[in-house]
Amino acid sequence: MTGLGEFLPRLLGGMVVNFEIAALALLLGFAVGFLLAALRLYGGALGAMAVPLIALMRAAPTFVVMFFLLNAIPRDAELFGEPFELSGVMTVALSLVPYAAAYVADSGLAALQQMRAGEPLAALLFLPNLMRAFFVMVMSSGAAAAIGVTEGISIILRAAEKAPSFGDRLVLFAVGIVCFGIPLQAGLAVVRLLQRRLGHLLLRTRRAAAEGGG
Amino acid sequence: MVRRLLAVVAMLLVATPLQAQDDRSPDRALARLLAEARAAGDAGGCTRPDADRLVRVYCAGHIRIGVREFYPLFATRDGGVRDGYEIDVADAIAQRLGVTPEFSRVNAATRIPLLAEDRVDMVIATMGHNTQRDSQVRFIRPHYYESETTVVGPRALKIAGWADIANHTVCATVGNGSNADLVDHDVRLMLFDEAGVLPARLEDETCLLAAQDDSFFAEAFTHPDFAGRFDQKFGFAQVPWGMAVAKSGSDRLARALDLMSQIFHRDGVFLGIARKHRIGTAYLEREQTVWQQPACNNDAGSGNPACVRPALDTELPPTPFVGAVDAFEARFRAFTGIDLALPMLRTAPAWSLLRSGIVNTLILIAGALISTAAFALLLGGALGSRSATLHWLARALTVTLQSSPIVLTLVVASTFAHALFPYSDAVSLGASIVALGMANGSNAGQAISEAMASLRVEGRGEAGLFRRALGRSATQLIAFLVNAAKGTPIASFIGAPELLSALTDITSFSSGRVTTYWLLLIFYTAVIMIVVVLCRRLQAVLEQGTAA
Repeated sequence: MTGLGEFLPRLLGGMVVNFEIAALALLLGFAVGFLLAALRLYGGALGAMAVPLIALMRAAPTFVVMFFLLNAIPRDAELFGEPFELSGVMTVALSLVPYAAAYVADSGLAALQQMRAGEPLAALLFLPNLMRAFFVMVMSSGAAAAIGVTEGISIILRAAEKAPSFGDRLVLFAVGIVCFGIPLQAGLAVVRLLQRRLGHLLLRTRRAAAEGGG
Repeated sequence: MVRRLLAVVAMLLVATPLQAQDDRSPDRALARLLAEARAAGDAGGCTRPDADRLVRVYCAGHIRIGVREFYPLFATRDGGVRDGYEIDVADAIAQRLGVTPEFSRVNAATRIPLLAEDRVDMVIATMGHNTQRDSQVRFIRPHYYESETTVVGPRALKIAGWADIANHTVCATVGNGSNADLVDHDVRLMLFDEAGVLPARLEDETCLLAAQDDSFFAEAFTHPDFAGRFDQKFGFAQVPWGMAVAKSGSDRLARALDLMSQIFHRDGVFLGIARKHRIGTAYLEREQTVWQQPACNNDAGSGNPACVRPALDTELPPTPFVGAVDAFEARFRAFTGIDLALPMLRTAPAWSLLRSGIVNTLILIAGALISTAAFALLLGGALGSRSATLHWLARALTVTLQSSPIVLTLVVASTFAHALFPYSDAVSLGASIVALGMANGSNAGQAISEAMASLRVEGRGEAGLFRRALGRSATQLIAFLVNAAKGTPIASFIGAPELLSALTDITSFSSGRVTTYWLLLIFYTAVIMIVVVLCRRLQAVLEQGTAA
């Protein structure tokens, strides 16, 4: 019990890093993805160029992108004349950006099209989708353990390495799954609730518009 | 009178071989060599452009020695004060030569170029003597020290040798020659650029185990806190350390240093300095015994293979097509101006790792796709079942799998697999396939069951329900199949020998990191795009089947 008493606060502290990584990735992914969605909406040569770019981002495996960023950026790299080195957290966040950007580009395009069609409520469904992407990235950010970032998964694994028995290890894994599962399931429940509310609101607005028009 | 004559004859008989042996002593050979060099300098040799460096040392009255400045216990500098084993060895050499030492700072990257550029006369700078470096500098034999790679970890962790270390992650530094040994023993590497961070990473538990030169960890173990928490588990890859001089123009200096090194071993000079600085002395004690033997304690000892240790053989066998790789790299450089390095095609071990990495990746992707589809069908059927027991069992499993980050699911699968089977690449691949299949299949299965529920609400009847649900949920099923394929590189986390793992191993002991990771990213992105195309065809088939 004492072991778990020490382990739980450390795990929760580590999970904060997972949420930070996901928030950073979503922020950057939103900026890139919305720009790509806008380019696709307005068409032209730039819009045509955005399509393969989004396809590439969709196909790039996050874990490989993470190792690519870690190894392919020269150690003496400079940005605006200043030495430039990515932290572990930033490396993981950037590795999630292609996924986030492709996701935002896809669902953002649909939202922009709905806005253009005069259905702002339908476009608002984009928000729960963003929230879903955020939770997917919280779960994916556990890959950071592979490059030595101290986050939730690495704390579970370090404790498990030191656990004296197979059974103790399984208990630690179970605690980890519960700790990650609670915010995930709660978050997804909020997403579903938001979608349902927005759906009902959208239906009522359409009915009212139809009745008014009739 | 006769007795006196006999005594003189006997003395002559005994003394002649002793005299001959004394003539062949390293001390006598060194004295002769130094006297000749001094004389050559006095005779105008100082101005000759082809003068040996030993002559030039006497002409200058000092010897320029390249040493490190931050290698605790071996060579450090605090303000104007230098300290460490290598500094004292340098002082002893200068004293024996009768000149003053003039120190210059070197590091791992500059110690050989500074010799070649004649900016130092010799280096004593923690340099391992390997066959690759033999072509660049002249190493002094016998070697003045020996280090080995040591594996350090928490005292409580029971690790006694290679058998206990397989499937563990070990922190190491990029480019360390002993990484290849770790990889050969199924160890996963977490790589760092600088060895200096390793003790801190052990202390903050980023690393459970770290592998580095024992000479490097020697300083960390002088701190009671560190020594109380960690110990050395085992050592491997012994490397002799050599002083070195330039390959040309240093024949006499090298010979003088060879003889001096012999004498220092024999007389315990190295050993005394090592004890003063509290570094490991096992190698120096063995060497003292060797150099006190008559067979080695002579002027030819440093050239006797029975007395000196060989250089570490670090040459990896080349691939049969390394010439073509060289030519391609050169042509690419000339055409684009980009330095392309293809280490995976240059040596036989790297080429073998690359081939098996590609094959294993393709097996892993195919396995993950099949396993995802199978779990999706199983869980979809169970979740959509009218049997409450089956439904709730499947529901509990699905929620658990959805709540577990994929890395954790992989680790749990690997833990079970290794509890049931001995560690092997096949077991890691199998565990990865099952974990990826379960994680993605649970989500796809839920989509199938939701499609079944919606069809029931629409009152379409039970006949062919599952097949129609498959068609309705085809988009989601395909999305999770693609996701499973995209997730395969993460299997390297539990030691599955796929391409990311193979290339990380290759770059840990060779150059060309940037090119390697570019190629890796291109390979995986291309493979996933092919999977996307194939999955879309499958989606069309599923949706057509439903429409029909």
